[in-house]
Amino acid sequence: MDRRSFVKASAGAVAGALLANQLTSALAQGGLEGEDLANLEKGLQATLRRGFKDLTPSRDVKLVAPTIAESGANVPIEIEALLPAEQVKAIYCFCDKNANPLLFTVEIMGVLPYFATRVRVAETAPVRAVVETKDGRFLLASQSVRVTVGGCG
Amino acid sequence: MSVNILIRFNPAKPKAGEEVRVQIVAQHPMEPGTRRDASGKTIPADHITELVVTFDGKPIAVVRPGPGTSANPLFAFKMRAAKAGQLKVNLKDLAGNSGEKTADLALA
Repeated sequence: MDRRSFVKASAGAVAGALLANQLTSALAQGGLEGEDLANLEKGLQATLRRGFKDLTPSRDVKLVAPTIAESGANVPIEIEALLPAEQVKAIYCFCDKNANPLLFTVEIMGVLPYFATRVRVAETAPVRAVVETKDGRFLLASQSVRVTVGGCG
Repeated sequence: MSVNILIRFNPAKPKAGEEVRVQIVAQHPMEPGTRRDASGKTIPADHITELVVTFDGKPIAVVRPGPGTSANPLFAFKMRAAKAGQLKVNLKDLAGNSGEKTADLALA
């Protein structure tokens, strides 16, 4: 192989690897690790009387959770709605694989649309933050939390 | 049996109009009802079902934790410190216990 074709070939290989990288991260956006929509749907219907398809993924909901939690019994969660306080009615939090997918609900009456707590995550699964607005919209943010020791057993 | 509650403001003495973080810790085992004791019997669920936060008698937030909230849970809120006043926390759990605690918010 002469020098010119070697340079061409390696440039192609690098570009290919970059593309593959982008592809996998795009896939990770679509299907979160440990997703269990059937179980989540149960919790959503029981609490909100809405299904997963009625939730709008939104950048206005900020969910802060660790990507890897050492113990599932104590996972710090922070939810903030980047909306005016008077527009937010309630904050809900769900976890796909918990026996009871609803983690907590918070009614926002006079505080700013922010809530932080520590939750139990049974096994590696996405945590969902749902913000209900006064005009009846449900905004969603999700993040997968990888758990090495479960928190519900 | 009453549940012990701790309340902390951060900053402790905010300026008027400043954002203040309210941290509430309830000392509660929060049994999810899925754990078993040494003899294999299920430990019955016993977690906080409702926590009401009021400021000067007006409710500002209601939290309804499920069994998926950690033991000795922390609940943190943010509020705008418009005026000095009294923050009150009331909670109830599944076993019928309750807790109450007040804290005074002072402005700098």
